[in-house]
Amino acid sequence: MDLLAVSIVGGLSLGAIYALITLGLVLGFRATDTLNFSHGQFMLLAAYLTGKWQASTNLPFVVVALAALVIVAIVGALLYRVVLQRMVGLPHFMPVIATLGFAAVADGIMGIIFGAQEFVIDVPGLPEGHITIFGARFSQASIVLTIFGFGLALAVAAALHYTDMGRRVRAAGQDPLLASQGGIKVHTIYLGSWAISTALAGVAGIVHSSSTVVTPGMIELALLAFPAMLLGGLDSIGGAIVGGAIVGLLQGFVAAYLGGEYVNVVTYVALLLVMLFLPEGFFGTKKVSRV
Amino acid sequence: MSLDTSTLAAGGAAAAAQGAPAMRARARTGMVEFAATAACVVVAVALMLAFGGSYNLYILNLVLLASIGAIGLNLLMGTAGQVSIGNAAFLTTGAFATVWCERNGIMFPYSLAVAMFAAGLFGAIVGLPALRIKGLYLILATMAAHFLALFLAEKYQFALVGSAGFIVDPVVNAGSLVGNQRQWAMLLTGFVLVVMLGATWLQHGRTGRAWRMIRDREDAAPAMGIPTARYKLTAFVISSAIIGLQGALTAHFAGNVSSESFTLHVAIAALAMILIGGLGSIAGSVIGAAVVTLLPYVTPSVVETLLGSPGAGMHAARISLILYGVLIIFFIGYARDGVKGWIVNLWKFLRKRAGGTMPGASNARM
Repeated sequence: MDLLAVSIVGGLSLGAIYALITLGLVLGFRATDTLNFSHGQFMLLAAYLTGKWQASTNLPFVVVALAALVIVAIVGALLYRVVLQRMVGLPHFMPVIATLGFAAVADGIMGIIFGAQEFVIDVPGLPEGHITIFGARFSQASIVLTIFGFGLALAVAAALHYTDMGRRVRAAGQDPLLASQGGIKVHTIYLGSWAISTALAGVAGIVHSSSTVVTPGMIELALLAFPAMLLGGLDSIGGAIVGGAIVGLLQGFVAAYLGGEYVNVVTYVALLLVMLFLPEGFFGTKKVSRV
Repeated sequence: MSLDTSTLAAGGAAAAAQGAPAMRARARTGMVEFAATAACVVVAVALMLAFGGSYNLYILNLVLLASIGAIGLNLLMGTAGQVSIGNAAFLTTGAFATVWCERNGIMFPYSLAVAMFAAGLFGAIVGLPALRIKGLYLILATMAAHFLALFLAEKYQFALVGSAGFIVDPVVNAGSLVGNQRQWAMLLTGFVLVVMLGATWLQHGRTGRAWRMIRDREDAAPAMGIPTARYKLTAFVISSAIIGLQGALTAHFAGNVSSESFTLHVAIAALAMILIGGLGSIAGSVIGAAVVTLLPYVTPSVVETLLGSPGAGMHAARISLILYGVLIIFFIGYARDGVKGWIVNLWKFLRKRAGGTMPGASNARM
């Protein structure tokens, strides 16, 4: 019973992180049809900046974290403006390879600047104690962070569904030509989408490293979020949250019943299976290809 | 798909319309490219054999090894248009197949065949999903293949020898460092030339035409009587087998194999090679392999002289990583025919100045 509880609760706390990551990936994808292979680097950058500034200044956590997120969003917007916007009309995979190139650049730069140091992120106001669910002990902090993660993801999804701004973002993603004819500044929307997308990666990075140290290994989380994105249907905002939760739960169960070393490998196998048997995911837009 | 029309014109459609002469002209361009590249490689190797020390020869050998794999990847990505970031996975397959061979008593020249077969088989497995999926999905599939291959390799390694990795037979034994590197240089030059010749032959025959058609207009290819599934699989198998050959040769050359050396960064570096050199070009593959392989050896000294910071050597790997990334973005965004495209344009410009016309010249990516 306690193994089951560990799987579910641990899985959901991972799922909250994946939901945030996937939501970011989906936003970027809707804007430019690009899978962002440097999403993990944005997570790491936000975590590094927060950790470094927390260690070197006396500013409160909220200020530090917001500053880090703003920087990450600016870098994300620049990536769109300088690199991806130039690649409209190229074969689909070209901008994706470009994000892979950007990932290499970011890896190199962050390695030089932060390489040798270790940072911890201390989020004030998190409860210290433990809580027992079905005979398994969990830190209250991880429960709070899980609720925060899903809450934020749902809030962003709701904002995209119900606000005027969100409607513009969705319109620009669905049909750029029609949207621009309707008076929507498509490029501005895309720029904003990329800023928000990378900022969400930053939030995920900060949340994830608040329970452990900041480490480059975090980058792989963003690669492991691709199955979640596929499950949700690549371009579905609600699907991102569902997909994130499913992948989190899958990893929770694998970690509990098979052992930690199989977590990633099973997730990648799941990626292949989803791709073969459910290529449009649960909520994806069906695509028809014509000659 | 909005590839430049010149590519298509030079590829399937126009060739069919103009008939045999266009095809022959194209094949001639290919032989010219092969001959020029082969001559450059042979001259460079000969110069290095005559004047180079063991360190320079060592780096030359790394370039030759990288060229083999770059040609393999370029056939798949540049010519057939199938995206793969699974390069490191095929290298792993080749290297670990070599290890397996040695542990089971299959010796050097034969083990290469086994390694190529294993990598080709793995390529077929990775290529199978490619029959149903394409584009973005294929990138994800090859990424998954990368991590799966590494997981298996790690399991195999840790079950047998642990984190230190396997020792592999170094094959040549000339008694001295320089002698060893010399023998390797000659051996590898042979392999590079054979792979180059094979790739040229493939590119300019029926297979190459089918691959380019699949790359440019996949949905239309079956209508022209091209069995896309078979040709896609062929591309994956041949490309992976060549990359596996690089993995096997590298294992012997380095004398050891460890799973931790095959990272996603290795795959990114391979992408950088073919994008820098020029997608679909054999000469470009060799040029790109040379640029990318030399970067980590050249950058530290350049950075040190430019910035005067002695710490640059420490960051050599990271600085080259940054440069790979910048070059990938630059060549995708600003110079999609790569260095080879520049050379072709320069050549055309010079010919124009000289008042002649180059027969069969085409700047199309092949």
